[in-house]
Amino acid sequence: MRLPRLFRTTPFRLTLLFLALFGAAASAFLAYIYVATAGEAQRRTDQDITREAASLAAAYNRGGLNGLNQSLIERAANERPFLYFLTSPQGQRISGSIAESPVEQFNGTPTWVSFSVSDVDSENKLVKHPARGFQRRLGSGATLFVGADIGEDQAYVGKIVGALWGAGALVVVLGLAGGVLVSRNVSRSMSAMTDVVAAVRNGDLSARAPVREARDEFDELAEGINDMLDRLERSMAAHRHAGDAIAHDLRSPVTRLRARLEAAYIDQEAGRGNAEQALAQALEDTDGVLKTFGAVLAIARLQAAGEVPNPELLNPGHMAANLAELYAPVCEDVGLDFRAELAQDLLVRGNHEFLAQALANILDNAVKYTPGGGAIMLRVRQRSSGDVEFSVTDTGPGVPEEDRDRVVGRFVRLENSRNQPGAGLGLSLVAAVAEAHKGRLELTEGPGMVDDIGPGLRVALILPRA
Amino acid sequence: MRILIVEDDLEAAEAMARGLSEGGHDCHRANDGEEGLAFARKTEFDVMIVDRMMPKMDGVTLVETLRRDGDQTPVLFLSALGEINDRVTGLKAGGDDYLVKPYAFAELIARVEALSRRRETGSVQTLLKVGDLEMDLIGRTVHRQGKEIDLQPREFQLLEFMMRHAGQSVTRTMLLEKVWEYHFDPQTNVIDVHISRLRAKIDKGFDRAMLQTVRGAGYRLET
Repeated sequence: MRLPRLFRTTPFRLTLLFLALFGAAASAFLAYIYVATAGEAQRRTDQDITREAASLAAAYNRGGLNGLNQSLIERAANERPFLYFLTSPQGQRISGSIAESPVEQFNGTPTWVSFSVSDVDSENKLVKHPARGFQRRLGSGATLFVGADIGEDQAYVGKIVGALWGAGALVVVLGLAGGVLVSRNVSRSMSAMTDVVAAVRNGDLSARAPVREARDEFDELAEGINDMLDRLERSMAAHRHAGDAIAHDLRSPVTRLRARLEAAYIDQEAGRGNAEQALAQALEDTDGVLKTFGAVLAIARLQAAGEVPNPELLNPGHMAANLAELYAPVCEDVGLDFRAELAQDLLVRGNHEFLAQALANILDNAVKYTPGGGAIMLRVRQRSSGDVEFSVTDTGPGVPEEDRDRVVGRFVRLENSRNQPGAGLGLSLVAAVAEAHKGRLELTEGPGMVDDIGPGLRVALILPRA
Repeated sequence: MRILIVEDDLEAAEAMARGLSEGGHDCHRANDGEEGLAFARKTEFDVMIVDRMMPKMDGVTLVETLRRDGDQTPVLFLSALGEINDRVTGLKAGGDDYLVKPYAFAELIARVEALSRRRETGSVQTLLKVGDLEMDLIGRTVHRQGKEIDLQPREFQLLEFMMRHAGQSVTRTMLLEKVWEYHFDPQTNVIDVHISRLRAKIDKGFDRAMLQTVRGAGYRLET
């Protein structure tokens, strides 16, 4: 048989366990209350009876049987709350407030007994009250019984016991109700997460666990799950986007390649055309396609990993100096004024190859897009925030502000740059490298318009200082 | 030169063997790691070309095993992976160079020939001599026909690499990797510009141009 869902939940089982433990503790507590109240009442009654008997025994010692009898009669008349019964040494009743001793077989040793007495209640009905008594032998062999009606005490104890049962029942009911409440609450939180997991399993990566702002461990778990899903979704989207982008960007060069090969083939069959040139072109096209593949793969891996491999402490000034040395001659050759201003006392933590490649991509762009006669400035400095900034400023046409976000995206190449070589992945890779270093890429306007050329572009790769 | 090709892609291995054989090399092929290990232990090779991912035994294990046995045959790793970590792993395992698939054939041949030269330069050289070009590695000076040529530090390194591989084709990627230690492919012709500056210094004013451009491959310093 399957238990209802509620009873199978872990919180409910825990509730039952705690209820059992709590019940045991409560029982011990209630037992103590019982002993301390009902037990105490009986002890006090016994004490009173013993004292009364001792006082009567003293009366006997002073005045003999007659004196005792006298004292008994007086006491009974004074409405003392005791029951008396006195017999002669021969066993005959001398006096007493009850008809006979409840002690049936008396061998002379003091004996306690519980019995019941009949009484008439306020409505003239005959009722029996529980009573307790003590019988002892006096010096001459006479026996004295002293008892007390404990009906009231018993009623009091009964009330206590009733109250204890009630309290016990209340504990169980409240405990169960509390357990059910807590279980349902916890189960609801858990089932919200189970739902999310199920949704994700069914392919819905946008499902998110609700966060109740209670700042408890469920919220922490929910936030953890949500963070994980955010990252997973981003990475999946990146992969999907990469797939789309590859399909889109590779289709045209591959189509072109195919057309060229086909044309060359037809020309060849017809005995005209230049197979060598067609093959060389085909090789070049193929290299372009492969380069694009490589760049997309590198970006996708960086984005998926969210960090760079083998990070080490690097001096950005030295890195930039090496790149400046590599790029200065090419700038000079195309008539660009290349300068570098490099702070040498900074440190960043990162992957040397990825950072060098990112800087090279930025420099490549500057060289490609800056017309002759212009200038390129490579700079490494510390920002006032403490971050380390590599920047390349050129005096080329720049990128209109509305396009700046877009050119960082994959495969985006502005219309007027279509005739330049490149897959349009340069800045995307820089952005991916920046992100993997917990840094960012910033595109701003260059130095402005000079002789109708400009306003230039300033590309900054900003990394946290190590 | 005796070359062992350990590659499970039969078509690629065939193309490699054909190309290298045309260049006058003696090529042997193994189709998986275990076979490659057996070949390498039986015969002495000048260079081994080893694919990273292969059935039975991967390339890294193969090279590690050989190196443990004291075999110092130069190894060129081939890999379709191409991540930084992969290259580092390959070189740590005892590989001498690393080439990512797909590669240009000229690149492969240039690297294989560059590797074969490594073993000959076992002793520490202090003087490099190619034709009438002389390089003093201690004094950091270069002379051609007795005339001193003034070089920047990087130009000196570039020329040293070209002289150590004199007579061989050297690709732009090789220069970028071995001289600048960069492992990416710039979009601009940075290497060509450096080479043309070096050429202006060592060839200008002399009767014979030593630093030649090899079409489709890179450069060669003629002996």
